[in-house]
Amino acid sequence: MDTLALLGGLLAFDVLLAVFAGVLIGILVGAIPGLNGAIGISLLLPLTFALEPQVGLLLLGGIYMGCMYGGSITAILINVPGDVVAAPVAMEGYPMTQQGRAKEALYYSIFSSMFGGLIGVIVLILFTPPLARFALQFGPAEMFFIALSGLIIVGALSGSFLKAAFAVLFGLFLSTVGIDAIAGAERFTFGSAELRQGISVVPVVLGLFCISEMLLNIGKKASEQVTYREQDISRMTVIRDIVRRYWIVVKGGTIGTVVGLLPGVGTTLAVFMSYAEAKRSSKTPEMFERGNPEGIIAAESANNATVGSSLVPLLALGVPGSPTSAIIAGALVIHGIILGPSLFVNRPDVAFIFLYGMLLTVVAMTIIGAFGIKYFSYILKVRMDYLVPTVLALALFGAYSLRNSLFDVGLAIALGILGAVFKKVAIPLAPIIIGVVLGPLIESNLSRAMTIADARGMPLVQYMLSSTLAIGLLVLVLALLVVVVQMRRRTALAEAEASRRTSSPDRRVTTEEA
Amino acid sequence: MKRTLAILLAAPLVAAGSIAAAQDYPTQAITLIVPYSPGGGGDTVARIVADRLGEELGQTINVVNREGAGGEIGIAEMARAQPDGYTLGVFGYPDNIVLEHTRDTDFDFESFEYLAGFDLTPMGMFAAPGAPFDDLESLREHAEAQPGAVVVGESGALGLLAILAFGDELGVQLTPIRYAGGGELMNALLGNHIDMASTSSMSHDPITDAGGTPIGFFADERMDMFPDVPTFAEQGVDLEMGVGRVLVAPAGIPDDVRDRLTEALDAMSDDEAMINRFETAALPYQYRDHDEVNDWLEAQNETYIRIIEENEEHFEGS
Repeated sequence: MDTLALLGGLLAFDVLLAVFAGVLIGILVGAIPGLNGAIGISLLLPLTFALEPQVGLLLLGGIYMGCMYGGSITAILINVPGDVVAAPVAMEGYPMTQQGRAKEALYYSIFSSMFGGLIGVIVLILFTPPLARFALQFGPAEMFFIALSGLIIVGALSGSFLKAAFAVLFGLFLSTVGIDAIAGAERFTFGSAELRQGISVVPVVLGLFCISEMLLNIGKKASEQVTYREQDISRMTVIRDIVRRYWIVVKGGTIGTVVGLLPGVGTTLAVFMSYAEAKRSSKTPEMFERGNPEGIIAAESANNATVGSSLVPLLALGVPGSPTSAIIAGALVIHGIILGPSLFVNRPDVAFIFLYGMLLTVVAMTIIGAFGIKYFSYILKVRMDYLVPTVLALALFGAYSLRNSLFDVGLAIALGILGAVFKKVAIPLAPIIIGVVLGPLIESNLSRAMTIADARGMPLVQYMLSSTLAIGLLVLVLALLVVVVQMRRRTALAEAEASRRTSSPDRRVTTEEA
Repeated sequence: MKRTLAILLAAPLVAAGSIAAAQDYPTQAITLIVPYSPGGGGDTVARIVADRLGEELGQTINVVNREGAGGEIGIAEMARAQPDGYTLGVFGYPDNIVLEHTRDTDFDFESFEYLAGFDLTPMGMFAAPGAPFDDLESLREHAEAQPGAVVVGESGALGLLAILAFGDELGVQLTPIRYAGGGELMNALLGNHIDMASTSSMSHDPITDAGGTPIGFFADERMDMFPDVPTFAEQGVDLEMGVGRVLVAPAGIPDDVRDRLTEALDAMSDDEAMINRFETAALPYQYRDHDEVNDWLEAQNETYIRIIEENEEHFEGS
């Protein structure tokens, strides 16, 4: 396909309209707690049957890109991540809002998303075949080590080590409820059909992050509500600052790209890995979770980078890398487009317009995000008496809609109350999510490794370390462990230092908040 | 007392109403439940059929996705619906029979009136690019020499059933291994982490593009789409397994409503535009009318129930 035809195809009115509409819808479903990209895409999928394939695909691609950013808006403004991938953004962004730096935080969020999105899509355009082959090397052993490294990251978050360990174990426990995915044994089900289906991530996230925050807001006086302060900060200042810290963006983009490639791993792991890495390499790790833009840059560049790379195995091999890209694959099949390497030979028009069109979704996201901030900030003008019931209603609706289950609604409420209690006693919530997400990954891959090792008649350890990649990942796991222990020691020293030097009142407030 | 009287008096009216409704059925929009999320094969069949059947009946047919729990939620909802012809369903057989015999479901085979079948996508066995076998004979030799050494991945109950039945028929021991989704299964196969995958014949192109080999399909005859792939039947393994989408109504719909539907379905069954839509979406179109679909289901039920009962330990609680 020559450049001119490609440009003509990309700049067609319906393509541009689909891109902008998709991104806008994506930002909205991302921002609304309980809705996420996969839901948004499945809602709009029937619509794409009537569109030209490339137009329909870019509508869905736009939603995918937009939803990775949308969750950050509510995370920053009201401490409610619209989607689990925005959880680390809430940890930095909301403290910034409390300090009157909401606009700045939103700028950091959108422009880091832009850089991350670009990295992912450029990787998709340039390196699809080699990366797809790389992704295939990840078997049960490699997946197990990757997931294990995710668990270790919990140690890098601030706060009491014991409380974090409790939280991650609680998350792992939640993930064991239901039918074990490999052997089919029932665990903690007490004969209940609902418990047999297991506890899914969505009601857990809604309960812990959304409902708990709203419960704590009840009864707050109007004067205690955080208000939006107009800040005199230009977009270019923020962009320049991000470019100055390009190293965080590159690392976040790389982590997002690699983790995004692996089917079934999910974006959550990438976001937390990138966040922890930014904290590790930061000169001021003790300022994390108190409003450090570096955390926002790391998380946002990682989550938007996964969009492009999760499409790599889909386009190269017909293997969808995430639930969202699996639905996009379904849309392609309906149009009679078979995925895999033959796509670029059989339907280059669709393939190339989709590839390069994903760049347009990044552009559309940046435009809508950068100029929409004024309107997003209206959320903070809403009085708590209206905001709390609205968000609660949306959260309960979201919990119900996942599986049309009232049980999930009850679960979300119960976890909301528990989450509020945890927040009061400073038990961190993010490790719970990490545990819920990684538990099944660790368990099923270990169990698969045992089955295969047994079938091949070799000891488990020998099978687990039979590839160079697996050995490399094991080294990574051990290195992370050392790094995390050192980091905690360094942070503890820095904090002790800081508290000896300063005892100003506003400093004490932030410590209590954290 | 007054209430009972009212009900008694009203009953004939209601009955009369439903008879009148049946005569000029359909007088209002019809809901078509799909127990899967949009975009999959089952959903596509439902939408194609909804469009064409709606035209034929002169009414709108709204497709409603009720996914979850491997189809159990949506299928149960079909079974619970009023048997008045205004709620129909499309699902992929044998999902219902597998669910019924492996879980405590609210429905059984008799909960539905099976109106027609539209397609049949056979299951297949595919060898990994680096597997030490590439056809049935070399697979059999390999598996006989090293019992249990052949690791076969699957991502659903039907895939597991195919592995178990296949191993029984061949008289060899295979090691099944579960993946959470089709994407993960493909990754494991193409990366040579497993030796073979038990999955839909529709995975043929991505697998062969990446160097994998089809061992065979569980069909009674070769597929038009893949004429080079042998069936297991022609190689002496007499197993027919695959997903066939069927249109159902809740059991107990009035006979004349059922007849109106089956007549409409028969009339549209050779519509070329519709068949084209099936083919574009890579769905092997194979129409079975009311009688044919019921005979076919009965024969298939026997196979599946036997495999499930013989391998009960694999299905506890799943």
